[in-house]
Amino acid sequence: MELLPQAIVDGLLIGGIYITIAIGFSLAYGVMHIIDFAVGEWIMLGAFLGFYLHKGTGIDPFILLPVVFLVFFGVGYIFQPLIHRVLSGKRGNPVLMGLVFTFGLALMFRGIALTAFGFYTHSIPAKFFQGSLFFQFGNFFVTIPMIRLAGLIYALSITAILHYLLKNTDFGLAVRALAQHKESAGLMGVNAKKTGSYVYGIYVGISAMTGVIIGSIFSINAQMGADYTVFAFFVVVLAGMGYLAGVPWAAFLLGLVQSFFLIYLSPSYTLLAVFGILYVILLISPKGLFAKGV
Amino acid sequence: MEEVLKVKNVSVHYGDIQALWGVSFDVLKGQLVALLGANGAGKTTTLRAICGLLPISSGEIFFKDRKISGLPVHEVVELGITMVPEGRQLFPKMTVEENLLVGSYLKRAKEKRSKSLKKVYELFPRLAERKNQIAETLSGGEQQMLAIGRALMQDPELIMFDEPSLGLAPILVKDVFKTIQEMKQIGLTILLVEQNVHQTLKIADYCYIIENGRIVQQGNGKELEQDPKIREAYLGF
Repeated sequence: MELLPQAIVDGLLIGGIYITIAIGFSLAYGVMHIIDFAVGEWIMLGAFLGFYLHKGTGIDPFILLPVVFLVFFGVGYIFQPLIHRVLSGKRGNPVLMGLVFTFGLALMFRGIALTAFGFYTHSIPAKFFQGSLFFQFGNFFVTIPMIRLAGLIYALSITAILHYLLKNTDFGLAVRALAQHKESAGLMGVNAKKTGSYVYGIYVGISAMTGVIIGSIFSINAQMGADYTVFAFFVVVLAGMGYLAGVPWAAFLLGLVQSFFLIYLSPSYTLLAVFGILYVILLISPKGLFAKGV
Repeated sequence: MEEVLKVKNVSVHYGDIQALWGVSFDVLKGQLVALLGANGAGKTTTLRAICGLLPISSGEIFFKDRKISGLPVHEVVELGITMVPEGRQLFPKMTVEENLLVGSYLKRAKEKRSKSLKKVYELFPRLAERKNQIAETLSGGEQQMLAIGRALMQDPELIMFDEPSLGLAPILVKDVFKTIQEMKQIGLTILLVEQNVHQTLKIADYCYIIENGRIVQQGNGKELEQDPKIREAYLGF
């Protein structure tokens, strides 16, 4: 019982990271209907860029975030036409083609990363956020590592910026129009290809930045992608495919499930629990927690 | 008079099936031109081909002497053409006002955004009352107003209406036709696609009749109303 507040706090702290893993993915799905199996690999590649930049320059990883974002925004922007081609090809089932294509990308990226970066596990030390905050209320103790708090603040900032972009700018209006009715968006003058490229760039950029954060909180290696792809799927499916507003809640739920299993049972049951919960919720509400997905 | 839209010998295929067979017609500046025909005659296909939503297999389309066939839809509307699509096709989860704002996404329209918004709200006070309501919760008539308002926000020269009376109560159909006439009075050029022959003949300056993907008859409203073939086929005499 003394551990309950700690379990909740841990869950929220880790849940924040899951928001940023899933929110770009959900956005890309909403606009382009791409289910990107390579999401974890974008995270991994971003993490390694952050790692080597930090190693080379000694600059704090949190300051490197904008650089990582810009590089991977560019990568995503250049990649999107390829994916658009696969999705709009006349080869029958485009959704399936997209799945196979991004699955292939993921395998390729992982293979390249293993060859280039090796099997070693690294971490990206953040000098700015060391130590912990410590709270005591009677019998209850809560420890908040500064680095995890920084991760949560990063996640909430990204969410707030995306929210602002989508609700208050013409770009956001175009993105939402495209997600809700592609043809009408075209009639209103929205360039689907170009807007799609920006969205994919933003998604890849956010994922890569999140990789750097994960590197400073946990650790990175060339094979880390698959786990995060699974978490991204969990959050997005639970939130409802393409329903962006559901993502933070689903992410916090995933974080809480994980931290409770970690503290009260055993970490080896975490994935079992995660998918058990997903299974039950989808049985009850196939369109996600809020019944607003696709 | 100046030709705003010139459709020249256009054919369209859906896979192996040919939907349009060398369709040609003109729309003159400031006119209300109607394209009439039964279900499946090729009316919607024609409009979609003009907008660049469908590729044409042969022929040419010009807007104010500029060739627009082959351009993607967002470039076609940039030039000043827009369409009020069949079934409204609003952005369902956006509010009324957001739908209108997307209408003025084009660079040309953005400069006039607040002015156009005021104009649309004057024209449709109902939309002003409901500007924060989610579009999919509007009634059919209100949705049609919103679709027309959204098109007006684009500051177009040519508006194409695809069966605006479809699915509306008779009293609302009258309103919609009145609105279309008002559009013409403020100087817009209109291409109206309809099945409602009787009403359309009354307000159109010039009409084309399309059957099985071919233009089979043309003339002004009066001429066509007197035409025995038209009377028999479309007016039920």
